[in-house]
Amino acid sequence: MQVSSVFTAVLLFVATSPELGLAAGLNAEMTKYVQGLETQAKKQESGFKGFDPVRGKKLFFDARPNDKTGTISCATCHTPDLKKSGKTLVGKVIEPLAPSANKARLTNVKETEKWLLRNFKQVYGREGTAREKGDVIMFINAQ
Amino acid sequence: MNPFGKYIFTVLSVVIFSSTATADQDRENENSELMGTVANKAYIKECGACHFAYQPRFLPKRSWEKIMNTLDSHFGDSATLDDATRTEILTYLVKNSADSSSSRSSRKMLASLGKTDTPLRISDTPYFKRKHREVRPNVFKRKSIGSPANCPGCHLTAEQGDYDEHKVKIPKN
Repeated sequence: MQVSSVFTAVLLFVATSPELGLAAGLNAEMTKYVQGLETQAKKQESGFKGFDPVRGKKLFFDARPNDKTGTISCATCHTPDLKKSGKTLVGKVIEPLAPSANKARLTNVKETEKWLLRNFKQVYGREGTAREKGDVIMFINAQ
Repeated sequence: MNPFGKYIFTVLSVVIFSSTATADQDRENENSELMGTVANKAYIKECGACHFAYQPRFLPKRSWEKIMNTLDSHFGDSATLDDATRTEILTYLVKNSADSSSSRSSRKMLASLGKTDTPLRISDTPYFKRKHREVRPNVFKRKSIGSPANCPGCHLTAEQGDYDEHKVKIPKN
């Protein structure tokens, strides 16, 4: 009885906090980082209702014009299958991005922020917004 | 040989052998230091994540300074670093740049440049071009090589700083 009510409470909690459910598996520092992004996104976008991996997927695959390669998306270097190794434009191997294939991914805030900054600039020519960064993290985290 | 003579002989051989060993070791170090093994962890981690961590001796100090001061647009890409890391890497690169190196290749590299030439790509230096004059441009474009930026694509021992021509293996595709 007690166990099942705890279970129901957990279920309810997860169901009512979609972004927390999606962030499952993230460690403490990353969870805090994502929560920070969420606070920012709420301030920046009035209609913000939580991060969405579907929007994150779109951001990951959207091809943009690029001087060197014609078009470029995140998948150009990371490959469309995030569980596989990718290659930089100059041929250096990139370890898989999916946490299921590479445990080190999405475990370090400094690293995550650095690559989001660099790679948003490389693909989109600008920094990602808090909402976009959260969306992409949710997409990657689900891989 | 009396016991004393035997003793002298042993001491002498030890001295001779150990000095030979030291000389050999020095030469070996000199050889492996031909272009140097990259030692700075931040440089390997940050710069080596996207491209081969080129030995700093391949470019003059002024080139490294310019590269590290324009990371926001690094050959068209953002390679932004936090300031502490950027400074650490720049210090390492400057300290080990061609200007600070006594290696022959560094001296030749510098000699191939005008005093104010500040190449941002090693492959833009006359020294590099001269050394690779027998390599047709489309060879660099082969899939497993990609571009002249990929030293270990053909120089199998590039990571150890060894660019000996005899250790070059050019992939067929």
